Amino acid sequence: MNPAVNRAVNPAKSKKVAANAVALVVALFFAFPTYWMVATALKPRKDMLTSEYDLLPLSVTGTNFATAWTKPGFLQSLGNSLVVTLLAVLAAVVVGLLAAVPLARMRFRGRKGFVMLMLVAQMAPFEALLIPVFLMMRDLDLLDKLPSLVLIYFAVTLPFCAWTLRGFVNGIPLELEEAAQVDGCSRWEAFRRVTLPLLGPGMVATSVFAFVTAWNEFLYALSLINDQSRQTLPVWLSGFQSQFGTDWGGAMAASALFTLPVLVFFLIVQRKMVIGVTAGAVKG
Amino acid sequence: MAAGAAALAVAVAGCGTSSSGSDSGSGDGKTLTVWLMDGSAPAALTDALHKEFQDAHPGVTVKYEVQKWGGIQEKLTTALTSNTPPDVIELGNTQTAKFAAEETLEDLSGDVSALGGDQWLAGLKDSLTWDGKSYGMPFYASNRTVIYRTDLFEAAGITAAPTTRDEWVAAIEKLKAANAADPDFQALYLPGQSWYALLSFIWDEGGDVAKQDGSAWTGALDTPQAKAGLDFYKKLVDVSGTKAPKDTDEATPQQMEVFGTGKVGMMIGLPWELAGAVKANPDLASKTAAFPIPSKTAGKTAPVFLGGSNLAIPAGSQNTDLAKDYLKLLSSKKYQDMLAEGGSVPGTSTDTAKLATNPVGKALAESAPNGKVTPTTPTWAAVEAGQNPLKDMLTAYLTGAKSLDQATGDANAALTKTLAG
Amino acid sequence: MTAVDTTDAAVPTRGSSQAPRRAAPGGARRRRGSALDRALPYLLLAPAVIAILWMIGFPVLSVLATSFRKLNLRELTRGQVVWTGLDNYTQVLSDPEFWAISARTVVFTVLVVGSSVLAGLLLALLMRQISPVVRIVLQVSMLLAWAMPLLAATTVYQWIFDQQYGILNKTLVRLGFDGFAGFSWFSTGASTLAVIGLLIVWQAVPFLAFSLYAGAIGIPRDQYEAAGMDGASPWQTFRAVTWPELRPLLMMVTFLSLLWDFKVFAQIWAIRKGGPDGGSTTLAVYQYLEGISQSHFGVAAAVSVLMVLLLALLTFQYLRRLVRSQEGAL
Repeated sequence: MNPAVNRAVNPAKSKKVAANAVALVVALFFAFPTYWMVATALKPRKDMLTSEYDLLPLSVTGTNFATAWTKPGFLQSLGNSLVVTLLAVLAAVVVGLLAAVPLARMRFRGRKGFVMLMLVAQMAPFEALLIPVFLMMRDLDLLDKLPSLVLIYFAVTLPFCAWTLRGFVNGIPLELEEAAQVDGCSRWEAFRRVTLPLLGPGMVATSVFAFVTAWNEFLYALSLINDQSRQTLPVWLSGFQSQFGTDWGGAMAASALFTLPVLVFFLIVQRKMVIGVTAGAVKG
Repeated sequence: MAAGAAALAVAVAGCGTSSSGSDSGSGDGKTLTVWLMDGSAPAALTDALHKEFQDAHPGVTVKYEVQKWGGIQEKLTTALTSNTPPDVIELGNTQTAKFAAEETLEDLSGDVSALGGDQWLAGLKDSLTWDGKSYGMPFYASNRTVIYRTDLFEAAGITAAPTTRDEWVAAIEKLKAANAADPDFQALYLPGQSWYALLSFIWDEGGDVAKQDGSAWTGALDTPQAKAGLDFYKKLVDVSGTKAPKDTDEATPQQMEVFGTGKVGMMIGLPWELAGAVKANPDLASKTAAFPIPSKTAGKTAPVFLGGSNLAIPAGSQNTDLAKDYLKLLSSKKYQDMLAEGGSVPGTSTDTAKLATNPVGKALAESAPNGKVTPTTPTWAAVEAGQNPLKDMLTAYLTGAKSLDQATGDANAALTKTLAG
Repeated sequence: MTAVDTTDAAVPTRGSSQAPRRAAPGGARRRRGSALDRALPYLLLAPAVIAILWMIGFPVLSVLATSFRKLNLRELTRGQVVWTGLDNYTQVLSDPEFWAISARTVVFTVLVVGSSVLAGLLLALLMRQISPVVRIVLQVSMLLAWAMPLLAATTVYQWIFDQQYGILNKTLVRLGFDGFAGFSWFSTGASTLAVIGLLIVWQAVPFLAFSLYAGAIGIPRDQYEAAGMDGASPWQTFRAVTWPELRPLLMMVTFLSLLWDFKVFAQIWAIRKGGPDGGSTTLAVYQYLEGISQSHFGVAAAVSVLMVLLLALLTFQYLRRLVRSQEGAL
């Protein structure tokens, strides 16, 4: 093509093409480890360690996925993880929202202190709290019980949720609520009908974060739970490590299975989010 | 971690509660909680053992929980502080001294003879003795041998398994020559940080990793003997042209997987690693054997690191007597034979006849009397659970990042510091 | 797909920059009414505050107390309390390694946070320029990175960077860089930390990019149009419009990244346990070595306390500014 013409006619378009190309390269960078995880899971054992160039698998097998799927405890751990994570996320988002509203909307003594608390709580060294938290759960008689994990994940993600949601509430013009109140809504109704729908996306972003955190947590899940029937998925996943190392193929296949629920969760809340936005747009 | 795993049949089918009874059970409804490591005891052994134990103790349920290797340090630490710790735990032999010295384990000195004490494996017995008292019962041990491919040896014209270092090196060269056409072939797979193999070479030179001075231990890696051991390690790496990474140990990637590809002549490993390789490549079963790690002195085998586990009863156990009964049953000949059959040196029986029935077990039994252990000091556990200076030393020297003197000097300083607690 | 692909998440940015102005009059008007009205904020906050104080505050205090005690396995299993005053702190602070590790941790944290925030910002701006289909591809691939379990991520990274079989070295050799045949990425602390840093950045960027993109699309178009008419260059537009609008959000995510990356442990431990020769040991690893590895829990607690202090120091400016801004608003 003629560069002169191209430049003259379409500077914006060629810029856009370049941007898209860069974006695709970046996407490759982010997706590559995931691709490599799946590719490794699909390789037969004999191809796992080869000096041949195997960017594309030389041959493909489902054995590793079968190993992972049939490794004892997968479905049970999946169930445990789902219950623990969803309860913790639900609690963190609800309680976080309750706290976010006064922090963003109301004026009262000590408000600044509470905001600081949400910030400072996130500085706590999570791993270093293992022993005191363990002793606490022991004294509460919650050892080896799933509620202990729900409590911990809830508490750990709560400060982040409360603080982030506060930002989202802040961003919704108060005038909208006030207008609704003028129309005869009570304060609660105004909040529920106007602000809450607009908070959808914020709640999605926050809950995805909380979900990923709780879903991946290993140390507490390992230390607090002994009974195999109550273990969570990260602990199950660690079963692919022996003292001889990690079973690459099995662990990669299992990790792929492990990642799926996060994507599903994201897609579900994503749809809700879109509905929330639309609703908000209509009202606003 | 020292321990080996004992299941040739690695299937961990019996995970979780292996008993049929419920928590409440009948009779006095007691529950004996037993923690063994993943892969330690063959399922056939634990199934039979728990059945016999429960039959002999009506109303008692054995709660058998297989522990995973990832995060075991945290798990043990927290479990010992709980109101209801497990009643029987498995501890690596290099780890036991730490738990004993901190008085977290029940003193079993009075029960030694009931637990078959006269037949305890010497290396393990030392590892569980602290201040003259016994804090556990030997479980099983194992040591590394050179696992090799009989078919490849034959094809390369090697008629007898090497018995000296020179023969070993010669065998490597013959294998290399015979398989020069295959770029993926490795005569010996030896990763840079296989430090248990290094221990053998250092001991064979008459050196040691650390020396005791009163109650204090200091590193001995800067001695001429230790340096000679390290040099031999480098020689093996150079001669064999192993493609193994120099910056990881035999776990990354798992050397048994590499051996399982069928393109490796030898590896220095444990019997269970061969089992893992066979699982990946069943053809290997009939084509493999093992010989003891050769010594520099003809007519001898090199000393080997005796890895293994002890069983102990946490001081906080609520069922000490039951736990002792459990250990007693496990120490009986029947179960010790099952351990030997599974491919490990049994802890409380000197009879290793069952072990010598397969070629790898035979080599294992041959070199086991020459087994040695790492320094029995409570602080050694931190060397393995933390940053192991021996591994850093190996990588630094093999990659040429440090000279022999510098590598050994640095590692020695780091080791001395860790051993001081 | 994406948390933030429409107008929506505009919300946090506008919030950060404009809400104080709005909240002030709104809040003032509310300042009347019944006892219930006055108690309402406290009632709403109560569950969160109780949970945080109980589940986080209490263990933190317990760690603080532990830092003044001798607590080894013996004391721990028997519940003995042995006070040793400042001994643990003296021991840690007089260890020259502690200072070296602290310096390394700060440098590492700053580099990782700097690169991930910068990358996140660039990606957020890039996402506005690209077609919807490409955007979704990019966002899904970022979500995949974010959602990958730690065991998988660390295993895959070790595998990619493997000396002999790693796809990276193989690829580099194919591209003609023969020096990378058998190159060891983990033979020095610096290159080990570089790989770990890449891993952390890779997993941190998605959250940052999503948040900042949400902020960026919230900037009203007319501001750009105004800037465009003045004949401003892209850089000038960025300086004049994007930067001021994004700054509060950018500061917030930088602050959060500092908190997270400073404390990061699992990735570093999984790759090389802080080796070789302790060359990739950070404070979190040091704390673990003292605590779980050596069972000196008192010393480990002292390290934790010092970590929090250092972190507070690093983020002091931000905290102060935040407090000030609220004073201005309320």
